[in-house]
Amino acid sequence: MNRNFKFKGLIAGALLCGLIGCGGGEKKASTTKESDAGSPFPRSKTLYLAGSQWGDPTTFNPMADIWASTWPVGKGAFNLVYEPLLSFNALDGKFEPCLGTLVSKSGDEIVIDINPEAKWSDGQKVTSADVKFINEIGRRFKDAPTAINAEYFTEIKVEKVQNNGVETERLTFVVEKKVRNNPLIVLDHITQTRIYPAHVWEKALADNGNDLSAVQKIQVDGSAVVSGPYKTEAATNEKIVLKRRDDYWGNKALFGGKMPAPEFIIHPIFKSNDAFAIALQKGELDGSQTFIPRIWMKQKDGVKTWFDQAPYFLAGALPIFVMNTTKAPTNDKNFRRAMAAAINYNDVKELAVSGYSPDIQPGLIMAGIGMEGKYFNADDAKQFGVSYDPALAKKILADAGYKSVYKADGTLDYMTDKKGTKLPTLFIKSPAGWSDWEAIVTIAVKGLRAAGIDAREGFVDASLYWPARGSGDFDILLTKPDNAVLPSTPWSRFFQVMTSSTWRPIGQNMNENYGRYNNPKSKEFNPMVEKLLKEIPTISDPAKLAEAYRALNKIFMMEQPAIPLAYLPEQFYEFSESRWTGWPTAANPYAPPLLPWVGASTKILWQLQLAK
Amino acid sequence: MLKQYPTLRYILQRGGWYFITFVVAVAINFYLPRLGSNNPVKIIMGNTSQGLSSEAVKEKEEKYLKEFGLVKVKNGKIVRNEDGSPVKASILEQFISYVGMCFKGDLGTSFQKYPKKVLDVIKDAVPWTIALQLPTILFGWIVGNVLGALAAYKRGIFDRVFFPVSLLLSSLPFFVFGMLLVYQFAVVWDCFPAMGGYAGDLIPTFSWTFFSSAAYHYVLPFFSIFLIAAGGQAIGMRSMGIYELGTDYIKYAKWLGLKETRIIAYLFRNAMLPQLTGLALSLGTMIGGALITEMIFSYPGLGMAMLTAIQNNNYPMIQGCTLLITVCVLIANFTVDILIGFLDPRVKAGLQIGKGN
Amino acid sequence: MKQFLSLFKSPMFVIGFSLFIGTLLLALLGPLVFNITTERVGVQYAPPSGKYWFGCDDLGRDYVSLLIKGLQASLYVGFLAGIIATTLGTLLGIYGGFKGGLVDDIINMVTNLFIVIPSIVIIILISASFSEGRSLTLIAVIIGMTAWTWSARAVRAQSSALKSKDHISLAKMNGANTFAVITLHILPYLASYVFMVFILQVATGILTEAAISMIGLGPLDTVSLGTILNQAKNNGALSDGIWWAFMPATVIITIVVFALYLINTSAEGVFNPRLRK
Repeated sequence: MNRNFKFKGLIAGALLCGLIGCGGGEKKASTTKESDAGSPFPRSKTLYLAGSQWGDPTTFNPMADIWASTWPVGKGAFNLVYEPLLSFNALDGKFEPCLGTLVSKSGDEIVIDINPEAKWSDGQKVTSADVKFINEIGRRFKDAPTAINAEYFTEIKVEKVQNNGVETERLTFVVEKKVRNNPLIVLDHITQTRIYPAHVWEKALADNGNDLSAVQKIQVDGSAVVSGPYKTEAATNEKIVLKRRDDYWGNKALFGGKMPAPEFIIHPIFKSNDAFAIALQKGELDGSQTFIPRIWMKQKDGVKTWFDQAPYFLAGALPIFVMNTTKAPTNDKNFRRAMAAAINYNDVKELAVSGYSPDIQPGLIMAGIGMEGKYFNADDAKQFGVSYDPALAKKILADAGYKSVYKADGTLDYMTDKKGTKLPTLFIKSPAGWSDWEAIVTIAVKGLRAAGIDAREGFVDASLYWPARGSGDFDILLTKPDNAVLPSTPWSRFFQVMTSSTWRPIGQNMNENYGRYNNPKSKEFNPMVEKLLKEIPTISDPAKLAEAYRALNKIFMMEQPAIPLAYLPEQFYEFSESRWTGWPTAANPYAPPLLPWVGASTKILWQLQLAK
Repeated sequence: MLKQYPTLRYILQRGGWYFITFVVAVAINFYLPRLGSNNPVKIIMGNTSQGLSSEAVKEKEEKYLKEFGLVKVKNGKIVRNEDGSPVKASILEQFISYVGMCFKGDLGTSFQKYPKKVLDVIKDAVPWTIALQLPTILFGWIVGNVLGALAAYKRGIFDRVFFPVSLLLSSLPFFVFGMLLVYQFAVVWDCFPAMGGYAGDLIPTFSWTFFSSAAYHYVLPFFSIFLIAAGGQAIGMRSMGIYELGTDYIKYAKWLGLKETRIIAYLFRNAMLPQLTGLALSLGTMIGGALITEMIFSYPGLGMAMLTAIQNNNYPMIQGCTLLITVCVLIANFTVDILIGFLDPRVKAGLQIGKGN
Repeated sequence: MKQFLSLFKSPMFVIGFSLFIGTLLLALLGPLVFNITTERVGVQYAPPSGKYWFGCDDLGRDYVSLLIKGLQASLYVGFLAGIIATTLGTLLGIYGGFKGGLVDDIINMVTNLFIVIPSIVIIILISASFSEGRSLTLIAVIIGMTAWTWSARAVRAQSSALKSKDHISLAKMNGANTFAVITLHILPYLASYVFMVFILQVATGILTEAAISMIGLGPLDTVSLGTILNQAKNNGALSDGIWWAFMPATVIITIVVFALYLINTSAEGVFNPRLRK
């Protein structure tokens, strides 16, 4: 009966595998704190953060195109490896020093002193040459990732001043006045553009015959010249590892000699959303920024957020429906307002985003949120805006002559306009597979159909979504105009939704105003919108600024080119206190609710301590 | 001349057909992704044109089109239409240049993971997929067949219990089974890791720590596939076993008084043949089959890479992966065909008499 | 026909058959018995209660309704895919096995081609070209078009064994053309075999649809058992222990497939007397 033995042997072998693993130094994270022996990245010295890198690491070359590079060198305002001049703190609207310090700002000039102690990892100082290199590269290479910067300032003046006896380089960004005239965007760039060592990259360009694409393909690793507190140590398809630079200039200059507590930062690359939740619960992940529903159920495992009750997260971004204003019936503002009145925003809040949003108000200003809350005018909202009101939706439709035709079983069949022409079904385009977005669309469709508006979900693969968005190939589109709270918020949101300055017909690509609102060549063109959009960045008087925003928001509410859906956070800031404590929260807001790889939240790293 | 070596002729004949299949498969796999109206550059651009002026966008787009070989190029410059738009390279041209590159060993640059090479991506991921699938399929096959044969031979109580259980097991959707295993063992009981191929703080090296960690992380994914595969095989083998047991030659052997183990050896050998075909099929498609398991367990492997490649119309990556699958399936089938030729006396006899099959 | 009626003599078949008919009835008559609604009726993931036997999903919809609609969709996909796969596989298998020679080799090659191309590639590509996106029918067709390969192989083996039988040779000698021989002489012999192949193809179709929906490539506008599981996974139901989000759907799939497997195995026993004991 040797088959029996074979069988038993196989089972035994499989069990043996498990036992070997159990005995071989594997860690059980949440309950016991065993020794870190045998691990190259000891748990007590490592911080695990996730949520920014989804695909395999490709390149750490800072000059590479945005979509091609990898965390922490790529697409966001990451400043762990390379740093910007300033960081913007969304909580108080202040510009915090990084490689530079803000001296003054106005509509014409932005003056920044380079920190005289700022140094590269090869010992050389950070100078104006470095700042100029990356900011002015657009004048030499039209397709560089930071090419757009150069359109917003005419020059960067450099002078040497004495600060407390220390010689400092003073930079003056002269705002370009004729075409762009937008100091807010200049500030955006200053806080988001990271500075790279000119002496390294100029040489690389020279060595490659001044060909930017060749330079972009150079493989870069942990030996690259950087200025930030960490450098890249290793990268596999599973994780990216950063190692602390003990000679980081900012330890002494910005943090009084302290070093960040974690020696290593590891960004695991998960393949499904569930993995984040499980890892947080088990204490294997310290910080994450993905949408995890019902996060209050994980509080007992030490998972925390900014607020410890609803809405749990601090709002900062506004998902909206953009309507295609070039074709019927969405070219009729009454129809759009009826749509806005038909959507049950409470359901969206509770069911789609797990209650992570406060109650929203009509208009494009996020009421009660951050620095922009003060521009919200409650009276205007009541008078000109629409909230969830199915009866009102039906009334607006009826007054405008739209009829809804129902089938024999009571379900909606189609709509007709006031001339009696049958209207096509409207599809709400959104990427398939993003569960919270899908839920928003499904709930919206329910509300719309209940009010007699013939809309349906139009989920498409993400790869089809992006091109459709830019070319205007949609009836209704779900999108988020802003991804971060910047110095230019909320102006940039209005610009993204309503500007005609870059207007192009459907079929040609646009990067803002996907719905083609306010066609400059049409009879209904409203010049006030463009006038306000051009004025606001230059206004410094707070009273006049409030007036301008009020006027702009009023036009938005009356015309309804887009429908705001929820107040979502800039980042889903969630963390675990089972290993590291000292995170900022609403009770202790020493940094904004962002993971410590970006902006003003990097300072969290210096405040973290091991849990007892 | 070849008529004197029927076995050789058989092998060559089969091999010839497989080669033709290979060529056609490669051509189809090349053509299919390009059927879609969406070319990958558009997808990349849709994601990144933020913050660039429209001329810069056009320049960038053309740069990528040229680099990925999607437009006609003459003397290093793009050939243009009258309205200035670049002329698309015909699919035949792209195919010819692709084949040329393949022979040089360059499977192209992944569009999505630019500038990573397709070969590198596949090289990193394939060992994990194979490590996950190969032992699982083999063990499942062996264990399942053994148990099935046992059940066929013994019948009785063992069969009555075993049969419904394995039938039920093979009816379970294996991915839910995997999810349930994760939930029970990794979340509730916390005795196995929930995800990953190895511990979160290790880098793949040739060290004991790494291998033991990988083994530890291997257990749950292994069982999620293995149990169901074994169940399926057991059912099949049981049926085959019962069938063979009732055949005349077995009865004859019993009456002749041959030893039991001898009889079972014969039984096995004949019942095995159709199962081998099934094994070949499983092995051949194992590259693609790991996809869901890899998703559930966040296991490093080719599955997810292939899925994202297809979703983003990443031509070179899709071609690289499908090339791999094609090669694996065809080799597996070819091997089984040859094996059956040797093991199945009917085929041998057929060859001998000269009636090629 | 007589052989099909003799199926009912096997207790295993009766069990499997009744289970399957049970689920079929649930799918077809369920809407008459239960109040099927896709409106929000409760809070997110409300636990099972007296009113809503399986609780609510992430959008507050009643799971009983969702499960019944999902069952309808999954059965539809399974049957359609099964019919397509069986028809294709049987026709190609019989023809190839019967003719042998060059025809057989060519059909073999085509079979190999279809094995080689992963169904996932085809699904995504085709769904990207259709502006209406992925519907149940489209998915069923694609599953059918990629799953027929193994039934072609199996039928071919049977068919090539049959062709050397005497009555076939007789028919050929009498001058009957290939088509007549296949339909009048071979097919009846294989009817029981084809029946079993069909059952297995339906089961595979249901499982494949569930697998495809799990990855997120399922039908975009309809509920199927697979999309219910996909929703559960995407909404983190697993890590929160919300068992009613995925267990009922899993159990239903398992029962349906199990019933089909029982039918198949018992049919094997009935049609092949040596298996009966």
